[in-house]
Amino acid sequence: MAHLRETSDKALKLLRTLPRVQIGNLRPNPNSKQNDKRGRAQHGGDKHGAGNKGSGQRQNFMRLGYETGNQPFYLRFPYEPYYKGHHMKRQYPPISLLQLQVLIDTNRIDTSQPIDISTLCNSGLLKLKPAELEYGFQLTDDGLDNFKAKINIEVQHASEAVIAAIEKNGGVIRTAYYDPRSLHMLVNPKKWFQKGVPIPSRMLPPQDAVDYYTNPKNRGYLANPEEISQDRLVLAQKYGYELPKIEKDSAYEMLTTAKDPRQVFYGLEPGWLVNIVDKTITKRKD
Amino acid sequence: MNLRKINAVTRLPGLRTCLPYSKAANAELPASMVNNEPEESYPNAVDRSGLLPQHKNVLLNTLPYEEPHSWIHLTEKYQRQAYGRYGAKSKVNPKICFDSAKDPREQVMQLDTLLKMLEKNRAQKAEEQQKIQDREDDIAKKMEKLQQWKADLHAKIAKREADSAAAIARKERLVEEVRRHFGFKVDTRDERFKEMLEQKEKEDKKKQKEAKRKAKEEKMMARLVEKTSS
Repeated sequence: MAHLRETSDKALKLLRTLPRVQIGNLRPNPNSKQNDKRGRAQHGGDKHGAGNKGSGQRQNFMRLGYETGNQPFYLRFPYEPYYKGHHMKRQYPPISLLQLQVLIDTNRIDTSQPIDISTLCNSGLLKLKPAELEYGFQLTDDGLDNFKAKINIEVQHASEAVIAAIEKNGGVIRTAYYDPRSLHMLVNPKKWFQKGVPIPSRMLPPQDAVDYYTNPKNRGYLANPEEISQDRLVLAQKYGYELPKIEKDSAYEMLTTAKDPRQVFYGLEPGWLVNIVDKTITKRKD
Repeated sequence: MNLRKINAVTRLPGLRTCLPYSKAANAELPASMVNNEPEESYPNAVDRSGLLPQHKNVLLNTLPYEEPHSWIHLTEKYQRQAYGRYGAKSKVNPKICFDSAKDPREQVMQLDTLLKMLEKNRAQKAEEQQKIQDREDDIAKKMEKLQQWKADLHAKIAKREADSAAAIARKERLVEEVRRHFGFKVDTRDERFKEMLEQKEKEDKKKQKEAKRKAKEEKMMARLVEKTSS
């Protein structure tokens, strides 16, 4: 500490006596100026930095990367799979809780109805491209502290903190899988219904996604509802909030509306032929 | 967006056509302004759009082709699409929209597929865990023996060193004895010295053998004593 005081005193003394700092008074940054050693005269001349005899002076160097016989580093790896399989990986474009709150506050999303991909795409501000391997939306924790909406939302991925944030406000969150065809249907339902084909059923998730969607911790749509309700309590205790009783809520029915695992649209079952021009539904007579 | 459920094919009331003026307002307007028959005011209406009839129909949200003009208009796909876009106006029987070959009951929730997938995942995870566990057990077993192995190794080294030291000591002793015997400094490589050395070595070996034999006998005696006593 005494050492520091001495140096600071010294520095202050210098400041008092030395002239003002100007460009002409400054030394260039270290290693910014290269000393061009010309190949002439005393210091740059004579052997021109190549030493005496040997392969050095005779400029007979080994090729770059050669490691005196062993397998050189640049030849050890025939390829690096940087992007191997990236074109087949599922993507989940993010929606932050902040974005969601803003959409709700600006009446872009109706919270009196359950929210799913269709609702989000119909707001006009969020887009999903199933053809580019975007399998749905994920909720991110940006804006988690200020989230204050009570919603029934269905996304494709959500972290624990996000789930806690939504349940804290008395809402319901669920993660569900939609296969690419179902996604195309949801993103642009009008275009789908113009095909004049009955609604197909949703496919089950692939092998590597099944574990995620059967896990109650992720509020998976294939998980056991009892385990989910238990985990709600556990999460409330973990994050330190009082778990709201949605049974007592006036919007209980809306909040507990859930799609069947084979259902694509709310209120419409697979096998129904929907016509949006006539506003009719045709069903098989079985 | 939420269409209501209906149990039979029925029509919901269509969109109410918005009238430009109310009937009450019409009565108040002067007679010249009342628009009773709008079409007749343009008797020489000529379609100067240059559109083909099918395109005009599309713009007016009606079926483009009343009569099929091409084989495409007779395909199932086209007719389904026509039904989808124009509804009942398309004069298409909605029956063709349904695939009669496929049984919808096949599309029931395939629980067995889901269970199979879960089982496969569980088995894979269990296998990985088992591998890790096996390796850890193996290492644990080896760790138990580690102290013993260490002791064994130290003993072996010590023995080897002791043996070599003993051999050197023995050699020195014999040389000293021979020297003493001769009484004066003799070169070790000398013949006489060598003869004496050999003699001495023999005697030494004999002695060692005797010692070993004695040790063995004593061991045997000890064992016999133990047997008889127990």
